[in-house]
Amino acid sequence: MNVYSIIAAEDPSLSHHWLFPEIGEIIYGGLASLIIFGALYKFGWPAAKKGLEARTAKIQKELDDAAAALKQATSDAANIRTALGDVASERARILAEADAQAAAVLAEGRARIAAEVADMEARATAEIEAARARSGDELRAEIARLSAAATTDAVRAALDERTQQELIDGFIAKVGAGR
Amino acid sequence: MSSQQITAYVTAMFEIAVANDVLATVEDEMFRLARAYETNEALRGSLGDTSLPIERRQKIVEQLLGGKAHNVTVQLASMLVGTGHVSLLPQVADALVKRASSEKQLEVAEVRTAVALSDAQKTRLVDALAKATGKRVNLKVVVDPSVIGGVVATVGDDVIDDSVRTRLDQVKARL
Repeated sequence: MNVYSIIAAEDPSLSHHWLFPEIGEIIYGGLASLIIFGALYKFGWPAAKKGLEARTAKIQKELDDAAAALKQATSDAANIRTALGDVASERARILAEADAQAAAVLAEGRARIAAEVADMEARATAEIEAARARSGDELRAEIARLSAAATTDAVRAALDERTQQELIDGFIAKVGAGR
Repeated sequence: MSSQQITAYVTAMFEIAVANDVLATVEDEMFRLARAYETNEALRGSLGDTSLPIERRQKIVEQLLGGKAHNVTVQLASMLVGTGHVSLLPQVADALVKRASSEKQLEVAEVRTAVALSDAQKTRLVDALAKATGKRVNLKVVVDPSVIGGVVATVGDDVIDDSVRTRLDQVKARL
């Protein structure tokens, strides 16, 4: 006998009420329900409670982790911002130092070049003066040489025998007089 | 070695000249020959030319001095040529003059002039130099045209220079 045959076999007219069951069924059913609920309370609730607590703890942990992550992220962000600030200041410092070094090198190079140019000018001036002096000296020496030669020739020509004797006699007289 | 050779020659010449009683003549003629040797390049070349036979070079000396110098002087000069030491002639002559002067307590006075001195000038010059230096002098006159005029007298370490050449040199230096 299947379910259809049972339903077909039921006769609604033979039932106590179409909605409310019989008292016995209510009692049995109630007891069965109490037993089920008791069993659920006895055995299912702790597990459910434990599960809920675990869930709550897990959620709380996730919340805490999230908060910690947020805090860490905030800290990291602050660090990064600080680091970025440091990088910027370091960059500025390096750039300033590089500028200062470049300026110093440039100034030193300019000073050195200026000194070299001044030295070259001084040497060139000295060489020009030396060349001028040499030319002057050579010219004076040549004039002196020619003058001396001309003077010697003139003196030789002027020194006749009489003059020679006078020079010798003059020497003798001067030496004899006590130099 | 040259110093020893010079001393040996001087000693020999001195003894020979003294023995012949011609020391003053010989030392004076040797002095003049030495000055001629110094100033005459042709004479130096001829007497020092080893390609010429020694006899030929000695003949040159005899021809040069013959009749002008004492025979002892000619023989001594010829000896220097013959031994191949004619290049020592100036030093030997100067040393001989010094030795001879020293024997007579005289100081050698070498006087250079552009022209020759008369005997009277020599006598007055000897007196003047003796007065100026306080020494008796043995006068040796060298005629040196480079003096141009005037006199340069050297007595020992003292030099009395009143030559035209020196005055011209001073003028040249000022120029």
